[in-house]
Amino acid sequence: MNNISKRLFMKELVSYKKRSSTYLSPIVFFLITISLYPLALSNDPNDLALLAPGITWICVLLSTLLSIQNIFNEDYEDGSLDIFFSLRSTTLSLVLIKILVNWIFSSLPIIILSSTVVFLLFLPPESLTILLISLLLGTPVISLFGALAGALSLGKSSILGPAIVLPLSLPVLILGTASVSSFLNGEDPTFYFLLLLAIFIFLLPLICYACIGALRLHYE
Amino acid sequence: MSKILKKLITFYHKLGSYPWFYKFSGIAIPYVAFISLILLFIGLGWGIFYSPTDYKQGDVYRIIYMHVPAASVSQSIYYTMTIAAIVSMIWRMKMAGIFIKSMAPIGASFTFLALISGSIWGQPTWGTWWIWDARLTSTLVLFIFYIAIISLYSSFSEKKSADQAVSILTLVGAVNLPIIKKSVDWWNTLHQPSSIKLTESSTISLEMLYPLLLSIIGFYLIVLLSGLMAMRAEIAKREINKEWFKSL
Repeated sequence: MNNISKRLFMKELVSYKKRSSTYLSPIVFFLITISLYPLALSNDPNDLALLAPGITWICVLLSTLLSIQNIFNEDYEDGSLDIFFSLRSTTLSLVLIKILVNWIFSSLPIIILSSTVVFLLFLPPESLTILLISLLLGTPVISLFGALAGALSLGKSSILGPAIVLPLSLPVLILGTASVSSFLNGEDPTFYFLLLLAIFIFLLPLICYACIGALRLHYE
Repeated sequence: MSKILKKLITFYHKLGSYPWFYKFSGIAIPYVAFISLILLFIGLGWGIFYSPTDYKQGDVYRIIYMHVPAASVSQSIYYTMTIAAIVSMIWRMKMAGIFIKSMAPIGASFTFLALISGSIWGQPTWGTWWIWDARLTSTLVLFIFYIAIISLYSSFSEKKSADQAVSILTLVGAVNLPIIKKSVDWWNTLHQPSSIKLTESSTISLEMLYPLLLSIIGFYLIVLLSGLMAMRAEIAKREINKEWFKSL
């Protein structure tokens, strides 16, 4: 990590820390939606335990949607994105750092918080590590899609982001929940973990360059 | 060989020019319309009135002459849009952007038609309008993709950026569609040992196959026709104040 990247990273951390709503609202949203499911479906622990991996994954997916508008919007509005794009060399590290910091602030707290589903949704405790690993591997991919959607819908209506992110995130949702349910069925979930990792590695360069292309559209 | 290549390249370059395309499509549209209507008339008429009744499904199966062409067309449109997106990203060809913009609503409508005709077919044969089968799910996702592309396009006021943004999304979608398809397949085998087999290797009799092929070709031509007309309309919209358009 060179000097500029380090400074960018620190700047991002500080600016996220200052806007506490950007990382608090996904947390609140996650807790509220998680608690809606037992009210709407059933309070029977057996039923809930069966649905817990899916419910957790859906809630994580939906709460990360809340933050995608914030990834590039503030820098776009105060004009600092202009400056980064006039220094062409920094764009790739800028995008990478933005995605990383967004993941740290919007996904990581939710992943930690999702261990509460052991109590709230009666997820069998032994499968918690599997759920957490699947979330750790899956949420970076969602952050990638979120960054792309945020870059494409910069300064546009906020419904556009979810419309782009949700269909793209289907494989992650499927593989993530499949890993937990296959573990509960007594199978080895490593297969799904490797697939999630493969999707992330495959998409990382592609989405980064797509993001740069999308951001550049606003400066042509 | 090099002569043909040269001709192809000039054709490709000409495709990028608005006046040339406008003129060319104006000539082509009546022919395409005529041939596609004839083919559809024969294919659908033959299929619906004269092909033999299916021994298992009865007359219900005749919706195949709508459903299969629509489903086949709905995927092919996305492939062509992907090619256009690559062209638009690399060479910044304006025509490619117009192509994606015009084809997306057509693709969405044919995907919708495939979904609707499939569920109308499913109700009497499987006893349900919808099942979460792998193929149905990925078609639904394709439909959502088209909608996302259309709504992204409409959110830009600047046409040039809209074209580029839509190309980026189309490409990312094209990379993701196989992953989605594969994962939906896994999900399907994981969750339900499907009681209804959609992919039985049924040997279709020739009397049913010929009208089906005719209507598939007819559908492709209808797509070509509506694509040409939509692109013409889009060119007219963008170039309304240009000198060449006024002098037509």
